[in-house]
Amino acid sequence: MCLSQKPFSISGTAGVNYEHYGLSRSPSGWTGFTPRKPWNQVRFTFMPNIQFGKNFKLPLNINIATRATNFAGPFSGIGKQNFSQYITNPLNTIGANPKYKWAELQLGTQYLNYSALSTGDVGVFGAGFDLRPKKYMIKFFYGLSQQGVNFFTGPPAVTGAYKRNNWMFQFGKAEEGKYEVSLNFVKARDAVASLITPPPTVKPQEGFTTSFVTKANFAKKWYINFEGAHSYYTKNTLLPVDTTIPSFKPFIEAHTSTVRDWAADAGIGRKSKNFDIGARVKYIGAGFQTPGYPFMLPDRLDYTLNTRILAWKNKMNITASAGQRVNNVKNTALRAKQFIGNLNWFTQFNDHWSLNLSYNNFGFQSASGINPFGIKNVSNDLGINPTYTWMNEKVMHLLSLNYNYSKYDERDIITGNITSNNAHTVLLTYVPTFLTKEFTPDFSVMYFNNKLPLFQLTLITVSSGLSMPFAKKKGNFRGQLQYNYSKTNSNKNNNNIIASCTVDWKLTKKLTWNNFFSSNYFKYGNEIIPNNASYLESNIRTGLLYRFGK
Amino acid sequence: MKKKTIILSAFLISAITTMAQITTSLFVNPAPPSSLYEWGSRKDVLTYVVVVQGGLQAQVKIKAELKLADGTIAGTTNLSTAKTYPLRDGNNLFGATDVLPLEAMLFNGKYKKAYEATGKLPADNYQLCVTLVRPVDFTPIGETRCRSFNLASLQLPIPVMPLQDAILTSEQARTAIIFRWTPVVPKPSAPVQYRVQVFPVLHDQTPMQAFRSNPPLLDKAVTGTTQYIWQPQLSTLAYSTEADSSSNKNLTFIWTIQATDGAGNPLSDGNINGDGRAEPMVFHIAPPVNGSKKLKEEVKKLN
Repeated sequence: MCLSQKPFSISGTAGVNYEHYGLSRSPSGWTGFTPRKPWNQVRFTFMPNIQFGKNFKLPLNINIATRATNFAGPFSGIGKQNFSQYITNPLNTIGANPKYKWAELQLGTQYLNYSALSTGDVGVFGAGFDLRPKKYMIKFFYGLSQQGVNFFTGPPAVTGAYKRNNWMFQFGKAEEGKYEVSLNFVKARDAVASLITPPPTVKPQEGFTTSFVTKANFAKKWYINFEGAHSYYTKNTLLPVDTTIPSFKPFIEAHTSTVRDWAADAGIGRKSKNFDIGARVKYIGAGFQTPGYPFMLPDRLDYTLNTRILAWKNKMNITASAGQRVNNVKNTALRAKQFIGNLNWFTQFNDHWSLNLSYNNFGFQSASGINPFGIKNVSNDLGINPTYTWMNEKVMHLLSLNYNYSKYDERDIITGNITSNNAHTVLLTYVPTFLTKEFTPDFSVMYFNNKLPLFQLTLITVSSGLSMPFAKKKGNFRGQLQYNYSKTNSNKNNNNIIASCTVDWKLTKKLTWNNFFSSNYFKYGNEIIPNNASYLESNIRTGLLYRFGK
Repeated sequence: MKKKTIILSAFLISAITTMAQITTSLFVNPAPPSSLYEWGSRKDVLTYVVVVQGGLQAQVKIKAELKLADGTIAGTTNLSTAKTYPLRDGNNLFGATDVLPLEAMLFNGKYKKAYEATGKLPADNYQLCVTLVRPVDFTPIGETRCRSFNLASLQLPIPVMPLQDAILTSEQARTAIIFRWTPVVPKPSAPVQYRVQVFPVLHDQTPMQAFRSNPPLLDKAVTGTTQYIWQPQLSTLAYSTEADSSSNKNLTFIWTIQATDGAGNPLSDGNINGDGRAEPMVFHIAPPVNGSKKLKEEVKKLN
């Protein structure tokens, strides 16, 4: 008998939700606490995955919000948006990826990750394709990663940005779980004429990056990967063309602000059920900059070694890593080194006892001298977390103690004196789970103390939570109530109460009404002026969510 | 022979007269931006003033020489491609793009290599010497002015705690989250202000998308230290985004450090945005214990 494929099916979700944020401050006119969210926001989501027959799929991805809230990046500070700014704003996603067998069309907003050194962080609004005939990969995409945004002094101030066109292309061959080889090309160029009022601090840029990626799995458990990349990046295309700097025509022509450099990322390791080990080296040249990772910091060399061990009949799990980062490798400034090491050791001794130990260390040091001394910061964190569980016929009890000691030393570069910043945290959590009842409460108490010369901060938190279904399990309630006591030096203490809950209600089999309510009341003692200032934050989010399909 | 002597004499007399009518002065910021192309966009970096008296009208080129303390020449102006400037009676002001035109500069050896790769010269103490020359034969007019300065590119902070993809417990994160980062290196003479910025990552957002589109939950300026203890005052309950309860989902955040000078201007070395922001890192807050997947699984086993 032959099972026939359904001619049409749909899965995914669609929804709408409204969020309100409120803030009242006392005394009136005091602005010591600023709003953390927009007053009102409405978000729509429409993400169905439609399938026609066996070979054709149409996933849609639409996520839009009514109010722009950009703070960092090219849309920073934008208020009113025109249509093209709206659809290219990273706050909104409007995309479709129709796919027939091995051919995928990419339309609208796409966050495409070609490789770690070419492109992966930036959303681009445009069109392209991803073809996988047999073992080959052919990808291309063209679009806008940012729309032109005019500079405005404000208020509110708008930083401004040039319209940026992006191109990306990949050609390669891959066999899943065995190997991958690919060549990537990424280009971005700002349109100089895209603005009426250009920003004084942002300049039009252009970049072109080429990368070669290879990955392979061998001898069953081993893997190796390597990526080498070269970039050309012009930081200001308004500056004159410079024939003394090599260009890469027709892709990019060098200006006086053009830099070009290399980057590489390589790793090797072995993975198995009980034991993993791996090593990785990453080098980013001082002049390496790629439009696909606009926040990547150049001029560094990282190397790390990591391992995982599962032992004692799977009751002991150890993960550890150690590595070093060297900054200013190109010696364009003083070279600085940073060490990072982590260890996490979990052991389940028996049905009742378990213990988790963790240790993190990082040290940062620049070349040393005497007055000024080199910068030296060292951080050590030790965590001990025993957990005891016991039960009877009605209740399972969980009692967990967590102690953390954190020491942070900073050296004053003029005097050479080291300032120690020590923090102790003790957390006790108790969770009784009732086996015959539907509700689960939890209780916790936390003490935190941070001390450094002339400063001490003490925090005490008492909190409780409750989770329970209701209305014949059609609804689900989760709530949290917490009180925070905080005190700095000999000042009068601050008080803080936070209450929050979620209420989810299944209206039908496919439609759910989700709600979130939160309020945060904070009252200062006398550590700030005006004394006894306070604020009340409230946050309400309510929305409907529809699930397509079964 | 007699004719040649007359021409030479006339030329020398003319040169002496010119020298007598031109005075120059040079100002160079002792700690200019490390990227040479940035010199032109800032007025406080380099000013060369040529004062002409006596109604002289002349054409000149500007010869610049970048030297190290030991006299090693890092770069010099290619006078054959350098621009010619007319001098007018009175004050003639020249900026960095006139005195140090990068498109007409010839760098040597390792300085050329470093400049082409990074747009910067290796960190060191340099001296800039500037001379006016005639456009035809490049003979000097007036005195050579020299000023010393130090080049050192700043390395922006790197977030180190919480580490990339760290998972904090809900119970601890409700009270305090400790942020630590590396300092700006080398330490600038003016105090650096570090702005700790934390952004929530909503369901269906990539962390970088959230970073570029959401308002920050925390934007706190800290001076003189590389640690900040945040009392988040947030509920750690996740808003349900799926038809079934999503209480087992982590809350996700992305954080960065923005380094600024005392006036609040971003230190521009680093990423291509020039906004002084460090490469952001992502951390998560695990759901409360009573909603945790692990606990539910254990109860399920017992039932």
